[in-house]
Amino acid sequence: MILSDLLDLPVQDPTGRRLGFCIDARLVLDAPAGAGPLAGARLHGLVVSPRTRTSFMGYERSGVRRPWPLGALLERRHAGTFLVLWEDVVGVERERILVAGNAVRYDARLRG
Amino acid sequence: MKRLLGVALGVLTAIGGFLDIGDLVTNAVVGSRFGMSLVWVVVVGVVGICVFAQMSGRVAAVSGRATFEIIRERLGPRTGAANLVASFLINLLTLTAEVGGVALALQLASSVEPRLWMPVAALAVWLVLWRVKFKIMENVTGLVGLCLVGFAVALFLLGPDWGDLLSGALHPTVPATEGHAVYWYYAIALFGAAMTPYEVFFFSSGAVEERWKVKDIAESRLNVLVGFPLGGLLSISIAACATVVLLPRHIEVSALSQIVLPVAQAGGKLLLAVVIVGIVAATFGAALETSLSSGYTLAQYLGWSWGKFRRPAQAARFHLTMIVTLLVGTGILMTGVDPVMVTEYSVVFSAVALPLTYIPILVVANDPEYMGEHVNGRVMNALGTVFLVVILLAALAAIPLMVVTGAGR
Amino acid sequence: MTRDERLPRPPTPAGRVLDARLHLLSRQVLDADDMPLTTVDDLELRSTDDGPDRAPAADGGITGARVYTVTALLSGAALATRVLGGRAPASRWLRIDWGRVSDVGTVVRIAGTGDDLDATWTERWVRDRIIRRIPGGDHDPQ
Repeated sequence: MILSDLLDLPVQDPTGRRLGFCIDARLVLDAPAGAGPLAGARLHGLVVSPRTRTSFMGYERSGVRRPWPLGALLERRHAGTFLVLWEDVVGVERERILVAGNAVRYDARLRG
Repeated sequence: MKRLLGVALGVLTAIGGFLDIGDLVTNAVVGSRFGMSLVWVVVVGVVGICVFAQMSGRVAAVSGRATFEIIRERLGPRTGAANLVASFLINLLTLTAEVGGVALALQLASSVEPRLWMPVAALAVWLVLWRVKFKIMENVTGLVGLCLVGFAVALFLLGPDWGDLLSGALHPTVPATEGHAVYWYYAIALFGAAMTPYEVFFFSSGAVEERWKVKDIAESRLNVLVGFPLGGLLSISIAACATVVLLPRHIEVSALSQIVLPVAQAGGKLLLAVVIVGIVAATFGAALETSLSSGYTLAQYLGWSWGKFRRPAQAARFHLTMIVTLLVGTGILMTGVDPVMVTEYSVVFSAVALPLTYIPILVVANDPEYMGEHVNGRVMNALGTVFLVVILLAALAAIPLMVVTGAGR
Repeated sequence: MTRDERLPRPPTPAGRVLDARLHLLSRQVLDADDMPLTTVDDLELRSTDDGPDRAPAADGGITGARVYTVTALLSGAALATRVLGGRAPASRWLRIDWGRVSDVGTVVRIAGTGDDLDATWTERWVRDRIIRRIPGGDHDPQ
């Protein structure tokens, strides 16, 4: 699959309830390196935003709050963004992503 | 000593390179109809371009990223594409106006029909883009553009009532002969003429062209903070000349000959010749900058290799873009449109396009991932936010005012 | 879940964390000589036992039980579809193998030069067919 297959798709639990939209895919460079200088980039989880379809400049995850009007405005729009681990994804379809009912919602903020 | 000369060169180039056909036409039109009552807009515009150019130059120096690369990276492909289309088209309009301006100035000098000059001007622009080093190109057009100081000289020679001029500028009122809508329409036009978007594309890409590092920021700050305001003073002197000579006689500005009339009146053929040389240099320089901007915006959005510092074979699509835009611009001019009218539209649309360039720069200037420790300070952010509001207001009001006033009639 | 409730921190990852859209998409790709090549318009993700291009479908092909890694950066037609929508067939993508990538920062760097990549063919085409035909096209401006 390609990344665009995941982005902007609605994320639902098995009962059909919408949890949000997939706004990003979190990768971790911990897979076997293979031929190249960098480690393999493994799909670790999906970043889900309850209300918005897209991520505006990554404001909600980077902790950047300035300039003040934009930062405050966007923080409110993106409040509640969470991370779902890839292993909790039940299926990726053309129109939606299904996650397990007991999937844990993690803090999506990037540290460091 | 060498450093001092370098700094002086930078400042002088900034002054001479500040004006383009948009400033020439708009300031003269405004002076001939509103007197000095819109001079405050030039001041606001100069402060704005100083803030804007400084920020984009700093972003380019610290992060090594030019404006449209940032627009693409931060806005994403869809919004970035919309931004690109709008910016590219408005840039093309400005390019057309500048090449037209070169032709008009050459007509003044030679009495040869401008349409004969247009392909010559476009070819000359392309030759410089193809072969001449970036720094030389900037310095020559900037220094020769200083001949436009002739407008300030003319103003002194005309011996105006300085008290009148000053009070007109400091106590702006809408003249009885004009309406409020037209007044604000021309305020936006003047604002767009001072804060042209191509200036920012060019400035930040130029910073990458010249491999600016953090230590170059201070020198560029000096060039901007000294050079641009002095350039603004030249703008004001053009408006003042028009106020003194054109306004009392109700002379309408529709061609370059009216714009330089005060100069001819004040200093005769000699001063006129000097000013015409200045106009040729300033419009030629601006034509170079807008052509480069068309290449920069498209290449940066699509991730192509770009830059005058590369041989053309290593930035092939970039050079092709500039060739095509010059051809299109010349083609538009050859259909017989009035370059002065094209100019008047280009400055208003520039004001509409400003938020597209400005917002991403302001955002990235605050992003530690790009800027490290050189993010905006409080003062910069305060100024930046104030101008954000001004720019948004101007952009939103421009088209409605254009419709209501019939583009300033 | 209320807005104010603190979400738990995820398990600490064993390597560098990159968010695909935030850190990779739309980034400039440079080669080892700092030459701009193209932009990252999309990413190709495959699991170890996947065929060439498994598109999402309701028949349960793509699940969290499979491990997916990024196998290539995609460029070219992928940009048009990102802007206008739709999904181009795999044959239209210009691929840069993940194995070529040497660094990810504000730009993505690949090892070696970009001359041999499919992703740069339009640049070479314009260079050879147009620019090199004009006198002075190879002239070094410095």
